[in-house]
Amino acid sequence: MIFNEIYSVYYNAVARILDKLTDNNSADKDLAKIVEENAFGESVLTILPSLKNQKWQLVRQDMTTPIRHKPTMPMTEIQRQWLKAISLDPRIKLFRVELEGLDDVIPLFTEADYCVYDKYDDGDPYEDERYIDHFRTILTAMRQGHNLKIEINNRYGERVYIRCIPERLEYSAKDDKFRLVTSGCGFVRAVNLARIQKCKVYYGDDVIASGKYETEEENVTLEIRDERNTLERCLMHFAHLKKRVERSDDGRYLLHMSFDKGDTSEMVIRVLSFGPTVEVIAPESFKSLIKNKLIDQKSCELL
Amino acid sequence: MAYSELIKNFENIREYMREFYVYGFKSRNEYTGKSARSYDDERRRMESWLGEHMSFVRGSEGKNVFISIDSRIVTHNPLYKALKSKSFTDKDITLHFILFDILCSPDISLCLSEIMERADAYLSGFDEPMLFDESTLRKKLKEYTELGIIKAQKSGRKMLYRRSEHEMPDDINDVLHYFSEAMPVGVIGSYLLDKQKEHNDFFGFKHHYITSAIDSNVLAMLFSAMQKKSIITVTNHSRHFDRDTRLRLIPLRIFISTQNGRQHLLAYDAEYNRIKSFRVDYLSDIEIKESTPRFDELRAELDSMQSKIWGVTANRDKYGRDHTEYVEFTVHIDEDEAHIIRRLEREKRIGHIDKIDDNTYRFHAEVYDTSELVPWIRTFICRITDLDFSNKELEKRFKDDIEEMYRIYGIGEVSE
Repeated sequence: MIFNEIYSVYYNAVARILDKLTDNNSADKDLAKIVEENAFGESVLTILPSLKNQKWQLVRQDMTTPIRHKPTMPMTEIQRQWLKAISLDPRIKLFRVELEGLDDVIPLFTEADYCVYDKYDDGDPYEDERYIDHFRTILTAMRQGHNLKIEINNRYGERVYIRCIPERLEYSAKDDKFRLVTSGCGFVRAVNLARIQKCKVYYGDDVIASGKYETEEENVTLEIRDERNTLERCLMHFAHLKKRVERSDDGRYLLHMSFDKGDTSEMVIRVLSFGPTVEVIAPESFKSLIKNKLIDQKSCELL
Repeated sequence: MAYSELIKNFENIREYMREFYVYGFKSRNEYTGKSARSYDDERRRMESWLGEHMSFVRGSEGKNVFISIDSRIVTHNPLYKALKSKSFTDKDITLHFILFDILCSPDISLCLSEIMERADAYLSGFDEPMLFDESTLRKKLKEYTELGIIKAQKSGRKMLYRRSEHEMPDDINDVLHYFSEAMPVGVIGSYLLDKQKEHNDFFGFKHHYITSAIDSNVLAMLFSAMQKKSIITVTNHSRHFDRDTRLRLIPLRIFISTQNGRQHLLAYDAEYNRIKSFRVDYLSDIEIKESTPRFDELRAELDSMQSKIWGVTANRDKYGRDHTEYVEFTVHIDEDEAHIIRRLEREKRIGHIDKIDDNTYRFHAEVYDTSELVPWIRTFICRITDLDFSNKELEKRFKDDIEEMYRIYGIGEVSE
């Protein structure tokens, strides 16, 4: 249904080659670069030879093309249906765009067709005008390469003023929240968008020209006992992280993964959620956090 | 057949991708269901598609291949590339570009013979020009009409063909960058992005599960069936029994997890006269059949069940009786731990929270399957003061598990 050659990287790369050739003759290296940038690792071994040896009769021997117009293709019906589906999502308001010409289209899905059942309940207010303004302002600053001036309420309810380089807008589907990832403003690395009280593009002279956004990585090794389908559950649960799985000769599974140190508290409870079938092997510091939770639990006298 | 980066059938590679991405500890000789040649070809393809995301480790049983991606760093799901690998013939690609060059504007309407004549002119400058017969061209035009990129219209006795007028809207790069990662079947947005020249991308994603990309085709079919309120036939693979079963279902809703990346289909299974859940990644070969008048009634039934579904399990028998369990747990909260109350409130999907006193809160719910809540309840370890499950076997296991964790981590009786 959606696995079709018209969407393939080969078609895309050839379209860009023909686009170039309709302008003028291009050197081989330009065409090879197009393939490298638009297709797969080994595509250069197929695409250019197929054009040159006239297997695909789109480029003549003299590297001209009979194609007269820049290659374009209208949207397929399913692309329109998908666009219609996103036009019905409340978050589309953040982008202040009108997706026109979709009135006669049946959406591929509506919110009645799917349920994100485990996202948190206090998601961002996507239809709030002030929130939308802040979102738009941040995008503008990023697009123009300007600094941002922000006022936020911190977790203690205090007003904080910062100026920063906006690096990216980071969305978490689990939290259903956007965060602004920043650099160049010292201690503040990320700001929840919903906490922003005021937000302006900074056009002044005292520009923060560059900043480093660096996350400190924590590496953890877990031992997984493959009982109650834990192996699959655990590997899927942590699939979004950089990881490596090792199976030892005695049938144990070791999961080595790394995560942002700022997420340590969250990672501790995520590991705890697997119970005794997942054990922290290293580092000791992370293991101690689990132990402390268990010590506190023991004092609750549940058992 | 000579090796190619491209593939005809996506199903063949779907399982390899999941194995390499989710597991990644198997060596070549463990892929017993396939030939060594097939393994080598699929691995090479994935290396070509995913480049730097593929890694290797040499273990005692040989080389293990795995895909490792920190989805917080990559801005676009790399697994979408796999869906852009469909093979085609020399004639397919040649005709595609010639056809859209001939039909370069929606104002140009031509009949089959006119298109053929013009296509021949495009090919005349080649040493050995390709020949397109009428049947090939008609087949391609029919295919493109079904895809919605060509419009066919009768004019007298002739069928005229023109390009569809539906071009991509301007200024939707940001929309596509975000929604191609944040919405179901996002690969369609990625297809649209591929046509854009400028790619300023300002979005990143946390807790971002990208595995579902490889199930996009199945998901699109399921959504399409739901839009048509249709019955489907589908192959369901049982991992437990390593067996495929052909099922006839009425698909009702997709349940998507943001905490493990799994997607389930909740569907009515007429054989059992029940609504059941099916892992989308185990489904394949969907055929959309006739529409059913029962769709609305069954979806309303699912709606009524959702207040008792914590995860994806529904347990209403064929006589309409709910088989539910009662879950209750109590937590202690210190003075400076108001965030724990907020956690309870925002993370509970169903059920209620009662304040017992300033430092004590109780969650309780009626659910179809207590075991689905257990991982969440464990996240409150360090403050659980009381627990009451109507499923006593599970309650015992929960407590035994905590006991075992004390043992594993050496939490002693006195010394700690």
